[in-house]
Amino acid sequence: MSDLITFYSLVKREIWRFSKVAIQTVFAPLISTSLYLIIFSYSFRSREIAGYGIEYINFIVPGLIMMSLIQNSFANTSSSLIVAKYQGSIVDLLLAPFSYMQLTLGLMIGGIVRGVVVGFAIYIVATFFYSGAVYSVGLLFLFSILISGVFSLFGIIAGLWAEKFDHISIFSNFFITPLTFLSGVFYSVKNLPGIWSKVSLFNPVFYMIDMARYAFVGISDAKLSLSITIVTSLFIALFALTTYLFKIGYKIKD
Amino acid sequence: MTEAIKIENLNKNYGDVQALEDVNLTIEQGEFFGLLGPNGAGKSTLIGVLAGLVNKDSGQVSVLGNNIIQSYRKTKKSLGIVPQEVVFDPYFNVRETLEIQSGYFGIKDNDQRIDEVLEALGLKYKEDTNIRGLSGGMKRRLLIAKALVHDPEIIVLDEPTAGVDVELRNSLWEYVTKLNRQGKTIILTTHYLEEAEQLCDRIAILNEGRVVAVDEKEELINRIDKKVIEIKLNQAANQVKDNFASDAKIEVVAEDKLKLTTTRGKVTGLLEQIQNSNLEILDIDINSAKLEDIFMKLTSLGGENNE
Repeated sequence: MSDLITFYSLVKREIWRFSKVAIQTVFAPLISTSLYLIIFSYSFRSREIAGYGIEYINFIVPGLIMMSLIQNSFANTSSSLIVAKYQGSIVDLLLAPFSYMQLTLGLMIGGIVRGVVVGFAIYIVATFFYSGAVYSVGLLFLFSILISGVFSLFGIIAGLWAEKFDHISIFSNFFITPLTFLSGVFYSVKNLPGIWSKVSLFNPVFYMIDMARYAFVGISDAKLSLSITIVTSLFIALFALTTYLFKIGYKIKD
Repeated sequence: MTEAIKIENLNKNYGDVQALEDVNLTIEQGEFFGLLGPNGAGKSTLIGVLAGLVNKDSGQVSVLGNNIIQSYRKTKKSLGIVPQEVVFDPYFNVRETLEIQSGYFGIKDNDQRIDEVLEALGLKYKEDTNIRGLSGGMKRRLLIAKALVHDPEIIVLDEPTAGVDVELRNSLWEYVTKLNRQGKTIILTTHYLEEAEQLCDRIAILNEGRVVAVDEKEELINRIDKKVIEIKLNQAANQVKDNFASDAKIEVVAEDKLKLTTTRGKVTGLLEQIQNSNLEILDIDINSAKLEDIFMKLTSLGGENNE
């Protein structure tokens, strides 16, 4: 029982932390993504996506939701850790009787919750721009947890590695933003010219956006089973790596 | 009874610097134990190893019979550590911080204990204040409260009174002494040697990563055979300076004050000489060696004059 309380307290702390600064952590991404929705729904209102047979707004809603979910999951765990390292309160995590797996899980769940909360809020806003139809709610829920889990873990690794706030922005500006923008959030990868549609297949974020889009509209560029295999494998590998880094005290123990 | 802490052949290097060298130390349950040494002696590294903040290179460390590596979760539960650096989680207020801390240690609904600790450390009236709004001294109080909130068996205080006002220092020692009387083991590092002398049962002195002495406080002090007789006179001290045989080192410390430093065996003879002299004595004090004397003798702070 006490073990459960220990774990629950870490999850609670992580959620409580971002709730205390909700303007920055929830409302700011909601506003910026809503602006994307307004601009794209107005600019491309009569456009259809080749091969999908759906309106452009229906195509980009899943991509925009997933993009915010990815960015916020990453931001939650990475900033939680870098602030703790900066203020020295990382010792609270080291002095407390957490197992290494509990540390990984607890921080990861905090990131997942923020990603899903922001994603859901954007979905609500999106219903003003499209019918709100979802092909499979169950798959959407499952994929949202898997995708935000991957980026929460990535955020933990970045937070452990980073020695200052600048280092976190290296991750978000040089990896996450380009990989997300080039993953097919705004376009179908199949329709890219020449080699670029092949290059996109090496981008793991493409499979995430693609599987999430399947959950929304029931159509995808890649085979769904391939996307699920790639993303699940990535999740397992990052989970194992993060737990190992906590075990050796990577950049948090002398 | 199992030892509170058992450290065997502990080594830790930072590059070329040997922070801990073959440290062996046993601390019994219920002891008030002092860990002294100059800056850089290895005190905080030793506590860091114990707490799981520092990876050791070799050696064995156990807390209440549990190995700190294999059973790290058990050992962490039995320790309450007050780190030397003032660190804080900027998102929460005082009470929220202690609620989270209680939860980390597996305790739900810990209001009664939180109230007790807040009262004892004079933090109750600040319980709704965000930590960023606390003064340095108050933040340090909160660090102490965090270490105590899960009622640990062993309390480790790493320089807890650095930069803290006299009032808190007194109330902290009163509270910690009470906890020690209840059976808790206390391990203290401090720069204030009088505090260690006043509070600790047993003391270890570290110097350059090695334990250079560990003993009962009195035994440690007795290692220095030193008595100091201070005489306040109703006449000029430098005129009577030569009245004594060479049984003591004689210094004029003020216009009307003499200080005679000698050894235990020579005190009686010296007092007889004083009595038989025609000195006009206003007051006389006899003091033994202090912890500071042994500390200076055994550490690098004593420099080349070490005996």
